[in-house]
Formats: sequence, C-alpha cells, structure tokens
Amino acid sequence: MFQYYFWLGLRGLRRNPALTALMVLTLAIGVAASISTMTILHVMSGNPIPHKSGRLLVPLMDNGPVRGYTPGEKPGDVQMSYRDAANLLNSGQGTRRTALYDIAGAVEPERPGMPLIDAEGIATTHDFFAMFEVPFLHGSAWSAADDKAGAKVAVLSKRKSEALFGKDNPVGRSLRVFGQEFRVAGVLDAWNPAPRYMHIINGTGGSFEGEDDIFIPFATAIGLELQSNGSTTCQEKPGPGFQGRLDSECTWIQFWFEVDSVSDRTAIKSYLDAYTEEQRKLGRYPRQAPNQVFDVMEWLDFLHVVSNDSRIAVWLALGFLLLCMVNTMGLLLAKFSVRAPEVGVRRALGATKGAVFQQFLVETAVIGIMGGALGLLLAHGSLWLIRQQSRDLSVLARMDWAMLGLTVAIAIAASVLAGLLPTWRACQVTPALQLKSQ
Amino acid sequence: MISMKNLSKVYRTHMIETHALRGFEIHVGEGEFVTVTGPSGSGKTTFLNIAGLLEEFNDGDYTLDGIDVKGLNDDARSRLRNEKLGFIFQGFNLIPDLNLFDNVDVPLRYRGFSRAERRERIEHALSEVGLASRMKHYPAELSGGQQQRVAIARALAGSPKVLLADEPTGNLDTQMARSVMELLEQINAKGTTILMVTHDPELAMRAQRNVHIIDGQVSDFVRHAPSLVDVRPAQAANA
Repeated sequence: MFQYYFWLGLRGLRRNPALTALMVLTLAIGVAASISTMTILHVMSGNPIPHKSGRLLVPLMDNGPVRGYTPGEKPGDVQMSYRDAANLLNSGQGTRRTALYDIAGAVEPERPGMPLIDAEGIATTHDFFAMFEVPFLHGSAWSAADDKAGAKVAVLSKRKSEALFGKDNPVGRSLRVFGQEFRVAGVLDAWNPAPRYMHIINGTGGSFEGEDDIFIPFATAIGLELQSNGSTTCQEKPGPGFQGRLDSECTWIQFWFEVDSVSDRTAIKSYLDAYTEEQRKLGRYPRQAPNQVFDVMEWLDFLHVVSNDSRIAVWLALGFLLLCMVNTMGLLLAKFSVRAPEVGVRRALGATKGAVFQQFLVETAVIGIMGGALGLLLAHGSLWLIRQQSRDLSVLARMDWAMLGLTVAIAIAASVLAGLLPTWRACQVTPALQLKSQ
Repeated sequence: MISMKNLSKVYRTHMIETHALRGFEIHVGEGEFVTVTGPSGSGKTTFLNIAGLLEEFNDGDYTLDGIDVKGLNDDARSRLRNEKLGFIFQGFNLIPDLNLFDNVDVPLRYRGFSRAERRERIEHALSEVGLASRMKHYPAELSGGQQQRVAIARALAGSPKVLLADEPTGNLDTQMARSVMELLEQINAKGTTILMVTHDPELAMRAQRNVHIIDGQVSDFVRHAPSLVDVRPAQAANA
C-alpha cells in the first residue's frame, strides 16, 4: 500500500498547488537554514583522524612562575619550552614523539633576478609524518639519522613544489631557503585535515584554513637558530640571543605523543608527573599545577576550536525550523480539512482509520521530500555565500554525503512531525456526516 | 442477509437526546430489492448508515450475512464494509482528482487484490455500466447520470453481497433516474441484495418490497412482488 500512498501523495502535490508550493518553500527555507549551520558545526566538530584520535596525545605542563598564579587556573600557554620539548623527545615514551614550531623564510630562485618566494612551514621530526599519516606524492619523510644530524633536508607541500619546480618530481633537487642549501626529500600529496588538529596554534592560517609549505628537521631549525614564526609566551625575560631563548621558560613548541593503545595514556601521564617532579628539584615548575594529557578531540575541545557562536547558530536555526514546521502544520490543516469528503468516501469503501493515517502521513512525507530537495539547493546556495565571507569559512562551508542524507532526513522528519496533528484530525472524520453533506 | 432486532440509536448533546431509531426491526433476505421511504428526519439515513457500518447503534442486535457486528472494532468493521457492502450516494461521492479507473480502484486497493485482478474487476465493472471507453476520464467530464454509473461500478467492483443506496437518483433528471434504476434492477437480478432509500414513490413501487419508516420505527411495509424473506415491523408483529 505504501507505493499506492506515495503515488497518491505525488498526485496530491497538484491539488491546491499554491498551498503545496507554500508548504514546500516553508520547509525548504527551514531545512536550508538548519543544514547550513549544521554543516559548519559538523565540519568544525568532526574527528579529523577517527581511527587513532584516542592514541595521539598532547601533554600540558604548566611551567609558569608562582607570582600572580591562583591554584586551579588555566596555564598561561598551552605550548612548552625548548628544554622540555628536547627532554620529552629523548624520553623514549610512547611509540612516537614529535615537537614542532612555526618557521618562515624565503626561497631563493635558481636563476638570479627572479623574485624571492615566501615559504612558511614547520620544524619538526621525522615521526610527524607517520604520526599524522601525511600522504606523500613523491619521495618520503627524512630519516631519524637526518633528525639526529640536523641534516639540511626538506619536505614540500604539493602546492609549493609546483610553484618552485612545476609538475616535475623535485626529490633530490636542491632548494635554497633560510640562507642554506636544502635537499628535497619528499613532496606531500593533497592533505588538508579540518580542523588542523596537529597544528592548531600556527602562523600559517587558522584552525581550519591554511597550509604548511615546507617541513624541515627540528634539530636543523634549532641549529640554524630559526626564530619561531608562531606565538611565544615568556612570563620572565629570557637571556640574550637564541641560546637565551632555548634556556628560558618561554613556551613556543607544540608536542605530541603517539601511544600503542588508549590505555597507555596513563603511562604518559605518570611519566609527565615524574618528569615535572624531577624538574622541581632543579628549581623549575614552581606552581605545582597538575599535568594534563589530551587526546585529539579533547585537545580541540580544550582550545575551543568549535566556537560557542556556531553552537548558538545551530540552535537558532533549529528554532527557525520549528517555526517553519508550525507554519507547515497550519497549512496542512487547511489542506487536509478540505479533504474530509474524500476521507469519508475512503472510510465507506473500506479504509481503516490506520489506512487513512498512513495515506496522509505518506503525503506529508512527499511534501517533505520536495521541501528537502529544494532545501538542499537553498543550502548549497547559502553555503556558497558563507564561503565568500572568509578563508576559514571556505573550508568549513562544504556539504558532505552525511549532511546530504541528513538534509533529506530532516526534511522528511520535519514534514511528518508537522503532519501528525493534521493527519490525526483527518482520521477523526465521521464518514456518515461527510457522505450525506456532499 | 441483514437482520436488525430491537435496534436503537440515540444522538445525545449536552442539552438534547434524540431517538433516531427505537425498537427497530427488519430482516432482508439474500437477493431482495427493498426500498426504504419515510418523511425527512424519520431515521432512513440513520438506518442505512448503521446497516452500512458507518455508525454504531446503542442497543439491539444486528447481523450482516450471519456476522454479529455488535462490538466489532474499527478495523473489523472496515474490513466487513469493504468485503460485504457497496455504497451508492445521492451526491455520487467520486474522488474528483482520480480518473474513473482509479476511482473504481479505491475499494479494491483496500481489499488487497493483485494488480491484474484489480484491472480485470475495474474493466468489467465499468463495462457493466457502459463506461469502459471512458476509464481515463475524470468525474468532472461526465454527466450526473454517468457519474452515478461510475459510483455503481465502484460499488460493484468488489462483488459485494449488499448494495446500499441513499437516494441514488435524487440528483438526476427523470430520464437518467430511470436509467440508473434499470441498472440497479439488472444488478439485483444477478443476485445482489439492494437496500435503497428514496423519496420517489414511483421508484419505491418498483422494488420487491417497500419499508416505510416514521419516527425511527418501521411503520408499514408493502410487498410488490414475491420476496424471499418476510419483513415485519415490530408493531405489526405484536398486533
């Protein structure tokens, strides 16, 4: 019977076309508004590396001074000092470890007279690429030996490689950057995780937008005394020169552990507690603040990557959808009230109340499908408008298959919910009364 | 086929209590053609609605084709209505945005017949009323008499035991009324029981029996031709 009811529903669209069009449009606008905001929230709050997000851990240790500190307050910065980064890299904890900080420089052209090309990226270790499952188009990451030796090797993004070398494979070729000659070890394939969880605190874009052009070994950057291009927090004045910065409590390095299983997180936490206790004996970590360990999703939450504004926008849009549903309900009441004679006839000819209920509910679902289809078009249009507003939003305002399915589901659910009362009322028709009154 | 004993129907509002039927008794045998007459408000339509399971009654007994309908739930009443009864109304009551084929199809859908069987029954029913060539037409494209013929086809398509007609010629001119009446007589001749409410004494005379209702009770009956089952009003039986 469903097929029959669906067919009747399609025919029903032609009945009171103006009223039907109004209902479809009302639903479509409500659906488009909610789907647009939900799409942005969905991308913002999505898990960028679902199969291992629980095994990638960020340590947070508060090395700030006691002065001005109230126990329990958040640390002044979420990065760590060079001394701690170096110690943790050598700790042997977890299966992989990496430290990273922002660098920026200019690539010198091969031919004299050509303009310099800006290059922003990160100094990190070879584990970075395996930990975050970075795809390679050409070549590979540099080796552990390169890290240890502070070798002048670089990995380029696809975009930067094409800007410098065209479509050719540049692996093995030389690149003059940061005033030094580097050998290209690899070129990344397209890789734009959203959000940029591994590098949220950055100088090359936002939490969602931007791309690192160049990657060089952490030790090499330190050896070349490359300053951080990202944020640096110093609660006390560091000593003079680059060495002064390295020896200071200034925080400017981000750190990640990878562990074998989620349960290994406890071991990392225990190690950090033991480490800070050890450091206290050396006069560091005076605040006695508890250490924290975050997995990927906790880290994004801690950094408020999903803004409250986005959540409020979704609630407002859902409220608007509710308003549209109430309007649709009113229109359906009007549409179904003139169908009372038909209900009377159908009941006389053998339709049960349940059959009439199903028929009218399927009819509202058909209106929902139409509203969903139009809502999808409107949502695409509104997302296109949103993408024009900022570079960050241009990454977020993109609909995937899940949201596409959700759009149709929301439209059908909204129409069916809006149709429940009108449908129930249609079933209450007294057939005898309708049949005589015609 | 239809047997009502001591049946009563009361409509109640918070102010008024109206006895539409009281101590109502009627027995209609299989294959009979019975007309029901009476003044406006006498209870004719209430009787027909109760006979057609469109309304419930307050007291008494009603058996339809041997089935006691008292206490049946909505689903069971709907199923019984679909299988045993066919309806013809004064206002035709065709669904305006369905063509003739789809209008006749409505009761068959609820019956659960296969696609092929539905098609066969619809084509046969429309042929019987002389409208097989206009299956794809819509009700608005037909005359009143033709619309009533479609309603008859719809009522017949499910092969009901009883045809209930509520003033089927009330909206038709004399010629069309006569033609519809002839069609009903042909249907009755093939064995379908017909119970028809009418205001027209000439039509009432054409049936095998006429039952007259006044104030919710059968006051008189006239036999025009030999019938299979006697129809006796309660008062007459007691007299």
